[in-house]
Amino acid sequence: MSFLKITSAHKAYRTPEGAMVHALNDVSLDIRNNEFLTLLGPSGCGKTTLLKCISGFEDIDSGEISLEGKDLKGVPAHRRPFNTVFQNYALFPHLNIADNVGYGLDVAKVAKKKRNIRVEEALELVGLSGFGSREPNQLSGGQQQRVALARSLILRPRVLLLDEPLSALDRKMRENMQIELKLLQDSVGITFVFVTHDQEEALAMSDRIAVISDGKVQQVASPTEVYDEPANEFVANFVGTSNIFTGRIFEKQGNIVTIETANQRKVQAESDRFGIGDHVQLILRPEHLKFTPGGNGIPDNCIEGVVETCIFVGSDLHLHVDVGKGRKAVVHHRHDRGNADEKIEAGSQVTLYYSPRAAHLIKAMAN
Amino acid sequence: MLDKILNSRFWSWLFKGYGFVFLTFLYLPLGLIFVYSFNANSINMAVWTDFTFDWYLTIFGGANSQSEFDAAFTESPERIFEVVRNSAVVALCASTISTVIGTATAIALQRYNFAGKKFYQALLILPMIVPDIVLGIALLIFFVGAGFELSLLTIIIGHTTFLASYVFIVVSARLAGMDTTLEQASADLGAGPLTTFRRVTLPQIMPGVVGGFLLAFIISLDDVVITYFIAGVGSQTLPIFILAMMRRGLRPQINALAVLLLAFSFVVAAIGLYLRSRKT
Ligand SMILES: Nc1ncnc2c1ncn2[C@@H]1O[C@H](COP(=O)(O)OP(=O)(O)OP(=O)(O)O)[C@@H](O)[C@H]1O
Ligand SMILES: [Mg+2]
Repeated sequence: MSFLKITSAHKAYRTPEGAMVHALNDVSLDIRNNEFLTLLGPSGCGKTTLLKCISGFEDIDSGEISLEGKDLKGVPAHRRPFNTVFQNYALFPHLNIADNVGYGLDVAKVAKKKRNIRVEEALELVGLSGFGSREPNQLSGGQQQRVALARSLILRPRVLLLDEPLSALDRKMRENMQIELKLLQDSVGITFVFVTHDQEEALAMSDRIAVISDGKVQQVASPTEVYDEPANEFVANFVGTSNIFTGRIFEKQGNIVTIETANQRKVQAESDRFGIGDHVQLILRPEHLKFTPGGNGIPDNCIEGVVETCIFVGSDLHLHVDVGKGRKAVVHHRHDRGNADEKIEAGSQVTLYYSPRAAHLIKAMAN
Repeated sequence: MLDKILNSRFWSWLFKGYGFVFLTFLYLPLGLIFVYSFNANSINMAVWTDFTFDWYLTIFGGANSQSEFDAAFTESPERIFEVVRNSAVVALCASTISTVIGTATAIALQRYNFAGKKFYQALLILPMIVPDIVLGIALLIFFVGAGFELSLLTIIIGHTTFLASYVFIVVSARLAGMDTTLEQASADLGAGPLTTFRRVTLPQIMPGVVGGFLLAFIISLDDVVITYFIAGVGSQTLPIFILAMMRRGLRPQINALAVLLLAFSFVVAAIGLYLRSRKT
């Protein structure tokens, strides 16, 4: 039986000007028990709205949200076995840390002794033992975030909903918390629905990613699948960077197809799904574009170009290469310190190639 | 440019002088009342004769060295006690009731959307704009028409009608500054609406509620105009009583009463400020 199932959910807000904003537009999502699912999408795409509809702070206009087959319609937020870590943590400023964490137990009238033990355990779980008597404003952002986490986890919810909990932290802290959260999720065995607009975060932490844009689910898949086989152009551009060539397949040999683009460039890819005459988009990740080695073994599908900009980001060089006919290609080149001959800078002539197996094809949008 | 002029010596002194004169005007009369309340001269209190606590003692029933003349112009401690008690009862009841009404209304208007919300809001502010005298007459007509006997009860009802507006405004300001996700967090953690109100909303808006209560209390305590219309014969409050005393002449005992009233107001205001500073 499915666990948390969302079927054709619609939600529209009326703006003060009278227009309708479709925050959720036919969203269907099947969330599995114990998985770490990330909702990834740009700002304003409806991630928070979806969480609010799951937690019960908002009602969907149509569609269904069900837990283990039971429709949640009409069940108020405080009766749903879900807990939320809010975007701004929402710690109660008038209570100290222990009382914040123990709030859910106090409301449920758990006996004092048992309550205190569980609060202590929860604080220990997030590495904050001994902080119980502090006030929320006496903690750092990362610590507050962990208190919010402890406060939600102490109730042992079926699902923990996290709304961009790491967005307020600095980069180092965020990376630490990403690992901690993932380990925590493994150890407590609770379904996490995690919202972020940071694609690296999504790739690093998730079992599955649901890419959302304009209130619609664009793709639900594992991180590698989302990255290697994006379902459409939006996903290809939002998750990582992509070079996209649009054209028509005019030749197929075995499973290697050759595509002719609008400005007569010929590119190759490997595909079983598409045949001659299909309109397709070829998606190529920047790290799969390589410099051809000098000398003989030059592969036949090369692209000549001139380096326009060259940005050093530590491990990689990020290059924008002008490949002619008004097109630019993005290349991520592994910075090779040992190779003294290699000298790449703006203005360098380069020859690029890629393995057809690294290219991913999707159906081109009709236009 | 303007900066330069304002920073010049001349202007700086002028502004300092202005500030001094302004504050003098404001506080000199209060200072005089305070000084005169210790003046033994009962005929002309502007002429200092001797230092005395007598006027305070007459209020509490401890003075005995009174001339016939003085006795005719001083009120008995029993009478003063009665009107002070009346005032306290009215102020306590009216401010308590209006705190409950004002707070509830503020929450309703802040959190829920319903038809006529704006109109309702305007209605709530209106009693603060309507001249007291009009409100007083209107209340009197209403009470008489409805067959109420004028008493402490009518004063309490009358005060509540406009004090609720003050509480409403103070609490609304506090509510507007409150993070609504706190209430969502509470619901999320399993608390029903009542528990959320008791454990989260109320503690958050408490400074506003207490502030509104104290404001209502002070306003009720020294209201003259409205009370004048709706106070019955046996239900004089302290301000009305002082007004009546004044008709028979400005006597030193009034000074002493005024100083006590002032001191009491200061204490209430200080409590309010203290509570505000403690939780924000
Ligand atoms: N109460 C509301 N009234 C009107 N429109 C709303 C309301 N809440 C959200 N919206 C609109 O619905 C859309 C989705 O909002 P939502 O908060 O779900 O975005 P989000 O994906 O969480 O964005 P972010 O990453 O910035 O938090 C937005 O266009 C927003 O303007
Ligand atoms: Mg959001």
